[in-house]
Amino acid sequence: MKKFITSVLLALTLSTPAFADYTFVVPQKPGAGTSQWAEIIAKELEPFLGEKIVIKFIPGARDIPGFNKWHNTMRDNDKAVMVSHGGNGVSFLQEEVDYDYRQYDSVGLMNLNIIAGKASGADMNKPSFAAGSGMVPEAFAFTMLICGPDKSIEEYTACFKENVTWVKGMSGAERRLAFKRGELTGTRENPAAYKKHVAPNTKAEIWFHHGILQADGSHADDPNYPGYQFETLFEKRWGVAPSGDMYKAYKLVKSFRDGMQKALWVNKGNPNRQALVDALTAMSKDKSAMANIQKKVGKYDWLIGEAGNNHRDTLMTFVTTDALSSLVKFNRNALGLNSVEKIELALK
Amino acid sequence: MEEILALLAGTLYGLIIGIIPGAGATTGLIFIFSFITLFPDPYLGVIFCMAVVAASTTGDTYTGVLLGIPGANSAAATMVDGFPLALQGKATYAISAAVTTSTINGLLWGALVFFLLPYYTSLIMVFGVPELWAFTCLALVTVTFITNKWWVRGVIALAVGIFIGMIGVDPNTNADRFTGGIEYLGAGVQLLPLVAGLFAIPELLDGLKNRKNTATVSLSNGEQTKQGFKAVWQNKWLALRGGAIGAFIGILPGLGGAMADWMAYGQAVATTKNPDVPFGKGNIRGVIGPEGANNAQKATSMIPTVLFGIPGAPFAAILIGLFMYLDFELGTVDLANDPKFFDSMLYGFMLATVLVGALCLLTTPIIARIAQIPYKYYFPLLLGFITLACVQYTGGWEDYAILAVCSVIGVLAKNYKFSRPALLFGFILSDRIEQLTLQLSSLYSLDRLIDRPIFIGLILLICVVLIWGLTQRNKLEYA
Repeated sequence: MKKFITSVLLALTLSTPAFADYTFVVPQKPGAGTSQWAEIIAKELEPFLGEKIVIKFIPGARDIPGFNKWHNTMRDNDKAVMVSHGGNGVSFLQEEVDYDYRQYDSVGLMNLNIIAGKASGADMNKPSFAAGSGMVPEAFAFTMLICGPDKSIEEYTACFKENVTWVKGMSGAERRLAFKRGELTGTRENPAAYKKHVAPNTKAEIWFHHGILQADGSHADDPNYPGYQFETLFEKRWGVAPSGDMYKAYKLVKSFRDGMQKALWVNKGNPNRQALVDALTAMSKDKSAMANIQKKVGKYDWLIGEAGNNHRDTLMTFVTTDALSSLVKFNRNALGLNSVEKIELALK
Repeated sequence: MEEILALLAGTLYGLIIGIIPGAGATTGLIFIFSFITLFPDPYLGVIFCMAVVAASTTGDTYTGVLLGIPGANSAAATMVDGFPLALQGKATYAISAAVTTSTINGLLWGALVFFLLPYYTSLIMVFGVPELWAFTCLALVTVTFITNKWWVRGVIALAVGIFIGMIGVDPNTNADRFTGGIEYLGAGVQLLPLVAGLFAIPELLDGLKNRKNTATVSLSNGEQTKQGFKAVWQNKWLALRGGAIGAFIGILPGLGGAMADWMAYGQAVATTKNPDVPFGKGNIRGVIGPEGANNAQKATSMIPTVLFGIPGAPFAAILIGLFMYLDFELGTVDLANDPKFFDSMLYGFMLATVLVGALCLLTTPIIARIAQIPYKYYFPLLLGFITLACVQYTGGWEDYAILAVCSVIGVLAKNYKFSRPALLFGFILSDRIEQLTLQLSSLYSLDRLIDRPIFIGLILLICVVLIWGLTQRNKLEYA
């Protein structure tokens, strides 16, 4: 028995993780998209920060547990930096989570766009599209494109059910392959992945994109895909600009996903924030470092320090009771998601 | 010179990782993240990684045969007959046959894959959701009804595995399911602790209980090595069929590892009439069948991985991340125009396959000395490695708890003869079969399905396997 206990203790000792200077907390497994992003940023940031950065992966369902853990037990550590992604933003709006962006300071974030592709020649009034909480903004966008303006959430729900084949249970890899095989007529990717998976496909073309969030709360056209922003296409087809509850909900959810696609956070008042912001600023001005990053994750704008906080504040202006209520209603009734109505977000 | 060093380092590292119980290619590749950026030239990193994949796949035969512990979940099938052979004093015979089969199939399918990589695109494209669904069903039916003597217990084990696999997120509503409110379980039970708990821990505890070496290997075993070669030659078609099964499964995205090996094992059992030695008791065909599959599967799973950036197997998903670090984005047009990248893959995989094969055959007595280490020294080291691998997920107490629970399940299943492979398969494929069923019902109607000949063929094959499993007396006693 003594030997057995000794063995178990030795095993536990062998498996104890090491600690380092700065810790980037990533809510995913190693190798996942944001994990890769964090690894690359950490590697490029280290020389400017002058200290070592270690990545701590805390994976879990829909990448929520890692962020919750940082919020509840780690954010008081002045060297613990949270790395979040757009999916965390969507979960913040429609799921029970502990984390709250308003309680943090931004070190820096990337404001991205998401591009939807379609099979050339496919009838996009009857699209087949992979389901999932990550696809919510796309579902809102193409439902409005298909069904037109001035409808209630109930009418949009009925229209969605009549026209859209919403294919549940597809991973990202399966979605890409199903699109290549023609089983799905629509797909969506971030710009880097779009270039990799959709653009080279001769049987595919751009469908729409969501636009890039501006400081004033508007969305600007993407210079890489001009003329394909949702609002532009909607107006071209229906003769009026999109509006109403559905549009408010769409603007809310797309902004929280794409506007904070990749972000670094520290707790409010963290004394190391300035050092991190300075390092990130220096890194963003270094051609070699940025070339390395852009080669791997695409060319996106950074919003560093207070610009990141301002961006977050702009996003929070979209959080209204109407928008949250419409988002959850459509999620539940049309998309079959078990979303939670978080009206308190709008009241805080 | 640098290429040779990268190749040697990758081969040795892969062999060692392969020998570690509960590790294997996937775990070995995860550890590489900590030093992948140290390679001065990214192509050296590609050579290293591919050498690790090839060598670990061959190396994991050792623990399966010598200790009755699979190096990776894919080595469990080899263990069924390899371990009994080792206990009979024929460890070198089993290893020689396994390594020879593995090396030949690795070279054969490696050559077909890496030389002809650009020509395989169309194969993936004809295998749609219905075919993947039917193929997954075939795998479940095979492992439950063909690779197990007690099929009722097999069905129960399969059901338990499916239940464990369903813990996590419901793909229909995106809400937590069967988690009991435990946040950690929201992402589901992880594969590694389940594999370690089902296979490695029960065998380790057995070893500790018996306080003896699990297998004895003679230091002068040239005769056994020759017998191993001879056995492979006598069963060459079985070895090649195993390779073909592994190659076929490897090419399908997401399927791989254990499935290929158990299906190959199943075909070895099914195609052997009146065996001299019962399966599960040390039949060499039970070693040659699955060993044909594993290296072939590793090679062909690189097809969807490289062509589309879509992992062909769990290890390939890690490889995509590693290559990203090295600045190679799999699935891009740019990469398709980089012959040096393909040369590095070819060089790393093929030469490591040869190297590790030769190393294993020449140094089996040396490597096999691990089996002669007294268990009181051996047990904590193995337990340490296994625990280390299993707590890489979060490092929290939950990782330890899951490993402990899975170990209890493994010990109970082993003692009461509930098929552990069926349980593992149920676990691995539960989310896949659920998701594919959702996809199938959304995208296809019955009249569209009957127009798909591959789908119909697979359904017929499932019926044949099921009838065979229910009516024929299966000889396999491994659980």
